[in-house]
Amino acid sequence: MKLRPAERALAYVVMVLIAIVGIAPFVVLFLVSTRTRLGVLQVPPPLTFELETFLTNYRQVIFDRFFLEYTINSVVVTGLSTLIALVIGLPAAYAFSRIRFRASDQWASTILSFRFMPPVAVAIPIFLLIRNLGLADSYLGLILPYVAFTLPLVIWILIGFFDEVPREIDDAALVDGCSRLGVLTRVMLPLVRPGMMVAAIFGVIFIWNELLVGVYVISSEDIKTIPVGAAGLISAQRPLDWNIAATVGMVTILPIFIFSLFVQRYILRGVTAGAVK
Amino acid sequence: MVLLLGPAVLYLVAFSVFPLLYSLTISFFDWRVTESRFEFIGLGNYRELVQDQVFWQAATNTALMTTVGVTIQVVLGTLLALFFNLHLRGSWLVRGILVLPMLLTPVVVGVMWRALLNPDWGLVNWGLGQAGLPQPLWLGDPSIALWTLTLVDVWQWMPFVFVVVFARLQALPHEVFEAAQVDGAGRLATIGRITLPLLGPAIAFAAIFRAIDAFRTFDLVFGLTYGGPGRVSTTLSFWAFENGRTFQRYGYASAIAYVMVIVAVVGVTLLFRYVQVRREDAS
Repeated sequence: MKLRPAERALAYVVMVLIAIVGIAPFVVLFLVSTRTRLGVLQVPPPLTFELETFLTNYRQVIFDRFFLEYTINSVVVTGLSTLIALVIGLPAAYAFSRIRFRASDQWASTILSFRFMPPVAVAIPIFLLIRNLGLADSYLGLILPYVAFTLPLVIWILIGFFDEVPREIDDAALVDGCSRLGVLTRVMLPLVRPGMMVAAIFGVIFIWNELLVGVYVISSEDIKTIPVGAAGLISAQRPLDWNIAATVGMVTILPIFIFSLFVQRYILRGVTAGAVK
Repeated sequence: MVLLLGPAVLYLVAFSVFPLLYSLTISFFDWRVTESRFEFIGLGNYRELVQDQVFWQAATNTALMTTVGVTIQVVLGTLLALFFNLHLRGSWLVRGILVLPMLLTPVVVGVMWRALLNPDWGLVNWGLGQAGLPQPLWLGDPSIALWTLTLVDVWQWMPFVFVVVFARLQALPHEVFEAAQVDGAGRLATIGRITLPLLGPAIAFAAIFRAIDAFRTFDLVFGLTYGGPGRVSTTLSFWAFENGRTFQRYGYASAIAYVMVIVAVVGVTLLFRYVQVRREDAS
């Protein structure tokens, strides 16, 4: 659309305003995280940066309040769950994309619909199941349900990417004596690598942020993930030390921020994977 | 070939279908862990639910939050998508900032906004005060806490609508717009008569997708308001959680959750109308 120069200038002003409004909450959170407990109460906050207080707060959150452990737990749980979901989801998505058995679309839709089930409807049974398996307060106790939560979306995203690969490629490989599984692992995997990235990213985002089932299954500090740890910290401690709460916020947001820098373009693909073409 | 489906189907049966059936079963029992009571009561929990004022309040809260929130998200997200369709220089960076909230951990988003909206030293009310505007008790005033929750949800999830609509805009054929310009259509007329109708299915998809997710909001309530003050910002998910986890009433919690499952199924059925379109086009 062609804009007149004055309109163009106005548009840039609007864009800068959007950027400021978008970034402001994070700047404020960062400022609060560099204050002392009482320094928080000063409004407007002086735009000074006290390195000493900054270091004290972050040291306290990362080491004394277990956020280093929580982060390690989150990385382990998220990484393994996403990996397992991909390993199980890839063959299923491939099959859905390639075979037209009776009611295959209904099957795919049914699997997909689990993505939208309210987690409160399965949290109690999953907690009981995990406890009976002797897995409460263990990584596996989180990984098993998290794979189930991620699987539908992973399959959904991957079907779209498999659909884009022409069938002739399968046929050629089959003629050359490849088995179906061989076609999938040797021919298809390299071709749908972007799809695997998108699926993995969305799996990671979901699992990294999951709270409800974590709260049911985990009570030991040693296994808590970041959301469960953060939830424990903010609800146990009243009144809240806001400088510490803000530091918790920064410490959890920073990894996500760095992650988002690398995966920006995949996010667009992923969100639109299910959207109308 | 069908064997390739095996692992996924088996896995989902074990960790999704079985739990869903299990909680349906539990919902017919009076199961209170703290009193070691476990007794079949048929529809008893559902009868209690109909009489439960908090349940109805939570249902109303959830419905209001979902409809109002999603409406605002759709309007803002679409406007932003149209705006970024101007492709100003540097807009990729601003888009990146805009998308960030939907990646954040909702509990932490809640805490972050509690800091921003703090009545004593929060920057939002300080700014409003400087501008001579009223300074509401965002989280303490029972008449607005639900709307504060809704607004923070809008802040976090409007980007989703934006991304979906923006992506669809990029995929629209240029010729249509050029033809409209040749025909002398004004800018607003082009948007109203051509762009928006073409975006319709994408907007509907984003709206329904968001509505199903907003309907089950839990984490944000946990971090921002904990359902209060009183019960004014308690959602259905949160009420089910409190009954299950805090009060250890597994049967009653499951009954609440099952009402949600039924609503979610209706939502998903609606959603698949728009997804189905895509599958048919693709094949």
